[in-house]
Amino acid sequence: MLHYESTVREPLVNGNKDYHQVTEDIISPIEKKPGKLWWIALGFAVTMLLFGVWSVFWETYWGIGVWGENRTVGWAWDITNFVWWVGIGHAGTLISAILLLFRQGWRTGVNRAAEAMTIFAVLCAGQFPVWHMGRVWLAFFILPYPNSRGPLWVNFNSPLLWDVFAVSTYLTVSILFWYSGLIPDVATIRDRAKKKFAKFFYGLCSFGWRGTAKEWQRLEALGLLLAGLSTPLVLSVHSVVSMDFATSVIPGWHETIFPPYFVAGAIFSGFAMVQTLLILTRKILHLEEYVTLGHIEAMNKIIMLTGGIVAMAYITELFIAWYSNVVYEQGAFWWRILGPYWWAYIILITCNVVSPQLFWFKKLRRNIPFTFVMSIVVNIGMWFERFVIIVLSLYHDYMPSAWVYYSPRWPEVGFYIGTFGLFFTCYLLFAKYFPVIAVWEIRSVLKTSGENYKQKMAALEQKDTEEFLQEVQHEHALAAH
Amino acid sequence: MSEKKYWKGLEELYNTPSYQKTVRNEFREELPFGEEIERLMDAKTPRRDFLKYLGFSITAATIAASCEIQVRKAIPYINKPVDITPGVPNYYASTYAQDGDYCPVVVKTLDGRPIKIEGNTSSSITRGGTSAMVQASVLSLYDTARLRYPMIQGKEATWEELDKAVMQGLASLGGAPVVLLTTTLMSPATEQLIQEFIQKYPGARHVTYDAVSYAGMLLANEACYGKRAIPSYHFENAKAIVSLGADFLGTWLSPVEFASQYAQTRKIKGKKADLSQHIQFESYMSLTGANADYRYTHRPSQQPAVVLNLYNAVAQALGKPQLSNVPALQDESLQKGIQRAARLLASHPGEALVVCGSNNPHVQIVVNGLNEMLGAGGKTIDWNAPVNYRKGIDADMQQLVADMEAGKVGAVLIYGANPVYDYYDGQRFAEALKKVKLTVSCNERKDETTVLCQYVAPDHHYLENWGDAEPKAGYYSFIQPTIFPLFKTRAFQESLLAWMGQTPDWHGYLMKFWEPKLGGLEAWEEALQNGVIEPKQVSLAAAPFKGDVQGAAAQLTAQQPKMGELELVLYEKVGIRGGRWANNPWLQEMPDPISKCTWDNYVCISPALAWKLGISINRFNENDLNRPVARISAAGKEITLPVLVLPGMPKDVIAVAVGYGRSPEVGKAAGGVGKNVYPWVNLNSQSLTFEYYQPAATFTLTGETYPLAITQTHNSFEGRPIILETTQKQYNEDPGEATREQREERERYGGENYDTQGTLYPNLYDFPGLKWGMSIDLNSCIGCGACTIACQAENNVAVVGKDRVIAHQEMHWIRIDRYFSGDPENPQVVFQPMLCQQCDNAPCENVCPVAATNHSDEGLNQMVYNRCIGTRYCMNNCPYKVRRFNWRDWWGATSFGGTKDTADMESELTRMVLNPDVTVRGRGVMEKCTFCVQRLQDAKLAAKKAGRPLMDGEAMTACQQACPTQAIVFGNVHDPGAAISQLREENKETRLYYVLDDLHTLPNVNYLVKVVNKDPGDFYVEPVQHVL
Repeated sequence: MLHYESTVREPLVNGNKDYHQVTEDIISPIEKKPGKLWWIALGFAVTMLLFGVWSVFWETYWGIGVWGENRTVGWAWDITNFVWWVGIGHAGTLISAILLLFRQGWRTGVNRAAEAMTIFAVLCAGQFPVWHMGRVWLAFFILPYPNSRGPLWVNFNSPLLWDVFAVSTYLTVSILFWYSGLIPDVATIRDRAKKKFAKFFYGLCSFGWRGTAKEWQRLEALGLLLAGLSTPLVLSVHSVVSMDFATSVIPGWHETIFPPYFVAGAIFSGFAMVQTLLILTRKILHLEEYVTLGHIEAMNKIIMLTGGIVAMAYITELFIAWYSNVVYEQGAFWWRILGPYWWAYIILITCNVVSPQLFWFKKLRRNIPFTFVMSIVVNIGMWFERFVIIVLSLYHDYMPSAWVYYSPRWPEVGFYIGTFGLFFTCYLLFAKYFPVIAVWEIRSVLKTSGENYKQKMAALEQKDTEEFLQEVQHEHALAAH
Repeated sequence: MSEKKYWKGLEELYNTPSYQKTVRNEFREELPFGEEIERLMDAKTPRRDFLKYLGFSITAATIAASCEIQVRKAIPYINKPVDITPGVPNYYASTYAQDGDYCPVVVKTLDGRPIKIEGNTSSSITRGGTSAMVQASVLSLYDTARLRYPMIQGKEATWEELDKAVMQGLASLGGAPVVLLTTTLMSPATEQLIQEFIQKYPGARHVTYDAVSYAGMLLANEACYGKRAIPSYHFENAKAIVSLGADFLGTWLSPVEFASQYAQTRKIKGKKADLSQHIQFESYMSLTGANADYRYTHRPSQQPAVVLNLYNAVAQALGKPQLSNVPALQDESLQKGIQRAARLLASHPGEALVVCGSNNPHVQIVVNGLNEMLGAGGKTIDWNAPVNYRKGIDADMQQLVADMEAGKVGAVLIYGANPVYDYYDGQRFAEALKKVKLTVSCNERKDETTVLCQYVAPDHHYLENWGDAEPKAGYYSFIQPTIFPLFKTRAFQESLLAWMGQTPDWHGYLMKFWEPKLGGLEAWEEALQNGVIEPKQVSLAAAPFKGDVQGAAAQLTAQQPKMGELELVLYEKVGIRGGRWANNPWLQEMPDPISKCTWDNYVCISPALAWKLGISINRFNENDLNRPVARISAAGKEITLPVLVLPGMPKDVIAVAVGYGRSPEVGKAAGGVGKNVYPWVNLNSQSLTFEYYQPAATFTLTGETYPLAITQTHNSFEGRPIILETTQKQYNEDPGEATREQREERERYGGENYDTQGTLYPNLYDFPGLKWGMSIDLNSCIGCGACTIACQAENNVAVVGKDRVIAHQEMHWIRIDRYFSGDPENPQVVFQPMLCQQCDNAPCENVCPVAATNHSDEGLNQMVYNRCIGTRYCMNNCPYKVRRFNWRDWWGATSFGGTKDTADMESELTRMVLNPDVTVRGRGVMEKCTFCVQRLQDAKLAAKKAGRPLMDGEAMTACQQACPTQAIVFGNVHDPGAAISQLREENKETRLYYVLDDLHTLPNVNYLVKVVNKDPGDFYVEPVQHVL
């Protein structure tokens, strides 16, 4: 029997769709008044954000001492959260850049949300290195700006400075990428808008997009170009972040394995976060036909793969600590697993190594509630991974006389909660006022991968070879116009 | 084969000029701007101008925003005071002589205010050493809780009013006697004045009262030598030292003097170590016990038995008559200890010294007998120069209380003493005080006794006062004011003069007293300048012994107290001592050398007892500072205290420090901190002396917890090579053994050139001129903590308060790490001062994003506070964990809200103690040891002005200068003649090592291996396991 395409390729868009229907499905929620659920969610998010603002104010007013950090553990929740949020951002870039270059059609259903997530996550991440400074009002010292202080310049040897460049570049490129992809869809909203302000606002945002062939050509070229630029960023940003630790002398930090280990971890947690967000979004905005089970399963596979990589890294760390025969290195891992913070390590291993193994079962990979729970478990695990690396390396390092325990205080917990508030506030506003699925990109795959179009092809498959080939060519010719 | 030419068009075939042009210009189209571009350039504000404006405004805004402008008023002198040049310090010799504690000092004054105390190196007694208490005394000058004016019935009065009232009171006593109640005074002039006072008021008497009494020794010596005095001890002449519960390095009699002497016997020159051996018998974990080679523990009630058994064992070894009827000791290890001590003492006649901390005269008589038997007199004990450190006789005080109760005392004038707080029955004293017609206190604060007195005539702080001291017969020391009195206070002596109806001129009195003795004004001035006068020739002498050792032994045997299941020991902490200066935040925050606990007293119990009670301090909860609380009752008094499990405590003994539990009026730092345990002091009804233990105590856990501010919770160094120690025997056999591994490791990476060859990045710094280095001898360091407080005073190190110490946010730049090893019931202890190692390849430097910490060409790791933004990366990356972050605004240094004022540092008064040469760090910046860079700059400048190179010893760090044992050597390592260079050269292949050398941090601080005078078989090298 002939097959038009492999049976494993399931439709990327379900239901009986045409271009107009796609537009209706995705754009019309933007034009409606927001629902009750949205208001409640926004209320929650803004409350969290305000609590975060209060926590940061408190910390800035009284000093970092209101946190639980101490003379031995100089970084804790602050940098843990920074690394965690930056890591989360990575899935967005991976989806939009690397999967674009690899021509993965399924990315179209999820890329817009993932890119938005990237930007908001990086915004959240950026809060931490800024507000963790003892003298935040002098934060601009870390920018290499021309000054009147003679030869005084930033220290280019410091990984923290590399972070500044890495993260700010990342944010810039991500915003460009995301926004340029938004323009045609914003123009669609503008064209449909009836209210004066909406017309004006979306008109402004769409930069006068007219949809000419030249514009489309340029947009696609720009997309490719930015994808090319972003691809190394996916790898470099978290590598640079990992160097904050890898270039230090602290056992448990000083590890050459860190860059790939961190990148894998970042993608691991990033995809988990995309899952969390999209499972909610598709439900609330009724977009199940666009974000299909196929999408979810594909992402679960990536989670499993990257989970395997981080598991390998954990084992390598332990092996090298033993093999190195360095007392401090061995001590660091001994105290990591068997010290007073043993439970953090257990959580890390359970969440990141043990639980993702359940995704070997296809049934579970395609089970939405299970995926949702797993996406949260993975993110808890990845938070603990960073916490374990940062706090559990510092708290028992070289000098036993300086060993301490660390417990967080409310302002640092509040700061973290605040960034959730910031993230969800941004995401909710975005999901309400901008298309959370890329309409034009869905359209581009609709006729090849839409369910109704695939079904149309199913009829062909009954025909004999000669006829089949002829029809397929004919259909393709039609699709091309 | 001929090459075929393919062409695409005729143009290419003929290669026309137009074709060539086309090839050259691949992009033929014009840019699509057309005329727009001209319009843009001709615009009123062209694009470039716009960028210029943009650039200028951003730069201007940035510069404006980054300037911190503060308004400062500078008012120049109209008439410049003599001797005061702003910014140039003056040094005045003076003396710390309080309550019998003696330390000749040099006071650094800057802009007219004393800011730092140094030891006076002219003194042969302390040899320039100081203690934490002496170092911190300068802060007490600026204590906000000091009394600022005289008071009558608690209300402010003038001196005239007060004098009138007191003199009226004295005149209307109707014959009832006047009593002067003081702590030990060692001032000859004051003594004379008191005699004159007594003559003026017939029937008057002077009672000396010491909070922690040495009456037992005084009485024993009276019985043995006919002198109610204490001899000088010379530990430096002893090869065999046995201490029976005397904490002579920490708190006993004259710790600075003894530490300095003791250290001389613990120094190692060259490849042959010849150390004294020190055996300690004690009932709690003292600083001295921690430094002993061998340490044995016993119940406090067993002390007489230990002394008697030791006497007999030594007598047996020397073939002298033994005491009869001596109680036997059951404890096997104690017996072994006594045998060991006896062997040691007997094999060092004339080089042996036994000291005893007991306040029981009979015990001290036996100890005297022991010392006589060992020929200590004239060798390690000197009766030529008896000391005046303690003079109080407990019975006198008891008599006084009885007299007061009976209404037989007309007036009490109190100076220094605070019996309501520290008398064993303070309540009784307070009641008795009410029956006295006239009560006057000359104390400097509203202490527990002063608040009960009718009249308060506050004394000066010693830094505001004139005075003299005679610490030992023939040794004199002078006190001169270093600042005009801050408040309306008056010297105690002036008050006495006034109340005798004379002109209150203490200075004049003192001069009149001394001038004839010294031979004129010039000699007086010279004496003041030097601070001390010492005998030209020193000869040690014995005194004829006529003690009845057998009689004392019989008494002791008869007195055997009944032992309870648990015994309670009271002890003094090295920082707080008897509690007089408890309102000193520096001392309160100084970690106790042994327990590493600050801001509290607590009950120390042994790990064994803890185990029995179900308190397990293990690796999972050692960091949890919420410790269980116990209710302790003894002698019918019950007190609840937090429990601290301390290795080295005997299993049937619990120990609590005195000096805590002061009333809130004593001051912000001391008020309400800890509990007063003086009520547990025991009166020996037979000898009428106080004993500092309770033979029967009960101990029950209340189930509550209480946070203790402990700075070091992990007690083991885990066998890591940060501490290297060995025994004398092993050292003498193979001096290089302890450091061999480190040297071999270095050898593998270039040996002498380890700095460049041990790294992938060899382009380190050049050090063209000076290069600073420090060496710390672990063998000399006794862990007393004087350096910590000296550093705090010199470098304006903040006090953070108890809750912040609990949060591990303390700020000390130099800490003393204390590690236990071996048997938890009786561990070996090692102290390691840990400060910034000034690494030449510093991990902190390369991680700072703004280059706020960097390297100087003198090898210093510098902190630029103004540049620091507080990322704390350097602190994380410091393997020595010596960097300190300003978690809060500790003293209002930042013009921003949120001050965390725990030490009254926001008060203008307290801030006078700040060293103006050192920046006060604001909130959010990192700080750490600078090697006292301000002192280095000062010394360099002085040398430069004198036009000569810097000499060795001119630049000293505060920690080095304060150290009573000279464990710290500091100097320019580029000067081959400098002490530091010679020391390093000498110990290069033996004791010299660097902590974490294999990290290639290239520290400029080295350590010298600790050598213990112990049999290798008794020397534990394996660490205490994680579970204590």
